[in-house]
Amino acid sequence: MGKFWKEFAKGIVISNPLFVLALGFCPALAVSTSVDNAIGMSVGVAFVLLGSNLIVSTIRKAVPNIVRIPVFIVIIATFVTVVNLVFHAFVPSLYESLGIYLPLIVVNCIILGRAEAFASKNPITSSIADALGVSIGFLLALFIISFLRESLGTGSVSIFGFRLFTLPVLGDNPMTLFILPPGAFLVMALLLALFRRMGVMKNE
Amino acid sequence: MKVKTLMGVFPIIFITVVVFASVGLVTWTDSITTDKIEEQEEQQIQSMLKEMFPSMSEYTFEDDIYTIYSDGAGVGYAFLAMGKGSAGEIKILVGLEDETTIKGITIISQSETPGLGDRITEDSFASRFAGLNIEDIALTKDGGEIDGITGATISSGAVVDAVRATAMEKVKSLKERE
Repeated sequence: MGKFWKEFAKGIVISNPLFVLALGFCPALAVSTSVDNAIGMSVGVAFVLLGSNLIVSTIRKAVPNIVRIPVFIVIIATFVTVVNLVFHAFVPSLYESLGIYLPLIVVNCIILGRAEAFASKNPITSSIADALGVSIGFLLALFIISFLRESLGTGSVSIFGFRLFTLPVLGDNPMTLFILPPGAFLVMALLLALFRRMGVMKNE
Repeated sequence: MKVKTLMGVFPIIFITVVVFASVGLVTWTDSITTDKIEEQEEQQIQSMLKEMFPSMSEYTFEDDIYTIYSDGAGVGYAFLAMGKGSAGEIKILVGLEDETTIKGITIISQSETPGLGDRITEDSFASRFAGLNIEDIALTKDGGEIDGITGATISSGAVVDAVRATAMEKVKSLKERE
C-alpha cells in the first residue's frame, strides 16, 4: 500500500506533468482560457489516462518491444474514440461538458508519455496510482494557469456559471491578451520561472 | 532459421492484429451508437424549439424548415443556419414568428475563442435578435439593429450574417410553398 501512495503522490508535485515533465503543453495552453475548461479537460484526461494505463499495463508483457509505441497510440486513439461515441450516445449531459475535450486528448502526450514511461514497465495497481496522481497534478497545474488567465483576461472568474469574484479595475477593462494564445505562453513561462526559483521543482 | 524468421515477423503480425481489433471495435461502437446519437440530437432540437415557442404542441419538418403548431394552429417557423466563425462553423437555430419577424435564436454549437467569441452563446447576445425584422438583422456599424460583442466582432458578425442570409432564403421558400 505504501508503494501505491508513493506512486500517487509523485505525480502531483515532484513529477507534475506540466510544470516538471513539461508534457501536454499543447492542450494545456489551448484550454486554460477559463477555469471551467481547465476542469473539463482535466476530468477527460483523468478518465482516458486511467483507461490507457490500465490497458497498457495489462498487455505490457505481450507487446513486442519494437512496435510498442504504435501499439500504444492505436490503443489510446481507439479508447478515446469509443469513449467519445459512447458518451455522445448514452450520457449526453456528460458529453456536452466533456465532448470538446475528449478528441483533443488523443494528441495529449501525457497519455502516451505515461504509457511508455510507466505503465509499460509496472504492474496494474502502480499504473492506476500513477494515472490518478498525474491527473491530479495536471488538474492542479491547469487550475493555476486558467485561474490567472481568466481573472486577468476577463476581469472575473466564474465556475459553472457561478461568478466567484470580479476584479475592481480589470472588470471593466480586462487585459484580453491573457485570454489569447500569447497570454498562455506568458503565464506559463512566469509560473515555470517562479516554481524553479522557489525550488519546488528540482531539475533531476 | 525458421524460428528466427518467425520471431522477426511477430511484431508485424502483432500490430496488424491490434489495428484490426481497433478498427473492429470502433466500427462496432459506431454502429450501435449512430441511431442513439441522431435521436439525441433530434431531442436536443426539440427541446430548443420548445424553449423558443413555449406554446408548441407539435411540429413538422419539411424542406429543412420546422413548422411549429400550437393545438393545430401555426405559430411560427424554425430552421438551422450555419455561420463561418473565426475558428470553425457556428450552428444556429433560428425561429421566425411570421415571415418578417425573428422570434429568437439559439446557438447550438460553436468553436469560437473561449472568453471572447464564445460569448455569442450568452443570452444577452441571443436576446438582441428577438422581435426584429429580418431586414434589420445587421451589426450597428453596418446600419443594422444588432450591437456586436466588444472584442468579438468576427464571431458576432458571423452569427448576424448567417441569420439574415438564411432567414431571407427560407422566407423565400416559404412564400413559394403557399
